[in-house]
Amino acid sequence: MSTHEDRELPGRLFVVEGIDGSGKSTQLDLLHKWLVSQGYLVVFSEWNSSPIVKATTKRGKKRHLLSPVSFSLIHAADFANRIHAEILPALQAGAIVLADRYVYTAFARDAVRGLSKDWLRRLYSFAVKPTLAFYFDVPLDEAVTRIMEGRPQLKFYEAGMDMDLSDDPEESFRLYQGMIRSEYDQLVKEFDLVRMNAMDSLVRQQKQMRALVAPHLQGVMRADGGSINDVLREEGLLGRYLDEARSKKAQA
Amino acid sequence: MTELKFYGDRPPGIEGASLPGRLIVIEGTDGVGRSTHIALLKEWLEDRGIAVLDTGLTRSELAGPGIKRAKEGNTLDPFTLNLFYATDQWDRLEHQIIPALRAGMVALADRYIFSLIARAVIRGVSPEWMEDLYGFALIPDSVIYLDIDVEHLLPRVISSTGFDYWESGQDFLPSTSVFDTFVEYQTWLLDEFRRLATRHNFHVIDARASVPEIFRAISAQVEQVVEGMGQEKTIDELLEEPSAEVATATLPHLE
Repeated sequence: MSTHEDRELPGRLFVVEGIDGSGKSTQLDLLHKWLVSQGYLVVFSEWNSSPIVKATTKRGKKRHLLSPVSFSLIHAADFANRIHAEILPALQAGAIVLADRYVYTAFARDAVRGLSKDWLRRLYSFAVKPTLAFYFDVPLDEAVTRIMEGRPQLKFYEAGMDMDLSDDPEESFRLYQGMIRSEYDQLVKEFDLVRMNAMDSLVRQQKQMRALVAPHLQGVMRADGGSINDVLREEGLLGRYLDEARSKKAQA
Repeated sequence: MTELKFYGDRPPGIEGASLPGRLIVIEGTDGVGRSTHIALLKEWLEDRGIAVLDTGLTRSELAGPGIKRAKEGNTLDPFTLNLFYATDQWDRLEHQIIPALRAGMVALADRYIFSLIARAVIRGVSPEWMEDLYGFALIPDSVIYLDIDVEHLLPRVISSTGFDYWESGQDFLPSTSVFDTFVEYQTWLLDEFRRLATRHNFHVIDARASVPEIFRAISAQVEQVVEGMGQEKTIDELLEEPSAEVATATLPHLE
């Protein structure tokens, strides 16, 4: 696969990174809603969501089939499919792409599992360089508290149980996330990630994100052509079949 | 009234000269907004007292699941895939569309044989073979074609389903860039649609316009096609009329 540095990409790519419980997805969701309300065309892409690959990943995780190398490769396959089918074409067309986790997640998680950092950077050389990548920095204790509150049971790989750090899932999770967090510290410097204080209030973090994103929005593609709501109002319709139409489309 | 006329020979098992319903087809490329406008149109028609069947590609009981499975594998040659689609098309004509038209409904078809012809022709299947194959298809009362160019199509595709493997021609175009193949494929496809539009007298609507403008243009055309439908009074309305008392009183004596 070739790198895409030689190509002019008119779109913008904004990425959020951070350990579980850092609040990155919440902030990205807020940013997404804001951009849509401003009329921008936004494509959202989430780690581990390729329609072709994710079932295999799920199977591997459920049955504890993944070794460090296969864990790394299956996530790279998922990422490659999303780059090829979602992220790159949207950027070529001039849209905004928001990614919840990006290559830095693989760099951190796979390095912790003992893979060569150099090999990982070459493996992911097909990735597009983000316009901005935000790193949500949260103290380990706070992240663990947030995660344990919301979840009755930690999953095997989520807790890093494959790494034999501890037999206790919560302890394993704490150790694993701590290791990932130190990797992120290195990555912030190496790749100029924007460090966000995840202990700040939600509103403050969001304001800061928007202020950093705004200067990059000039000349980006906007949605056009009026909205469905205009039709509903003009024609006195309720739109009672629209959800059905959307779900049919999603299935197809 | 739909005249029971077919593009080719009348298929066996279909009787009669006309049907009280109407067959209205919405054609157009992927992402142009067909399904949204059909959802709006269905409600719009029902509000006017007209019953609606909506149908679309791969929704037949017989062949729908098989086509979806085959496309997941991305392995079928164009002839096999076309015949699979033709099976689906005929099954829906026989079991959904024609019965609905007999019952006096409006059948709204999300795509018809034209999408299938256009897709096949740009993959190298001869247009004559395709039009012969679809000789069994009932001629619709109106084919409304949502016409767009690639430049206006791009933002819609991005904001709805994204770039589909087949709708980007990834199965036969050599480039690995989905964006490039999408632009190339859709340019070809839209040319082919326009050729079909002339040949088969489509009602062409400029789908570069805003959503409300497009819907106004569609509903204006549909209004003409369904003129006179939905005028029958309901039982409740009949009973409220002054003569209803007399009529009801005489009901039991009717033979």
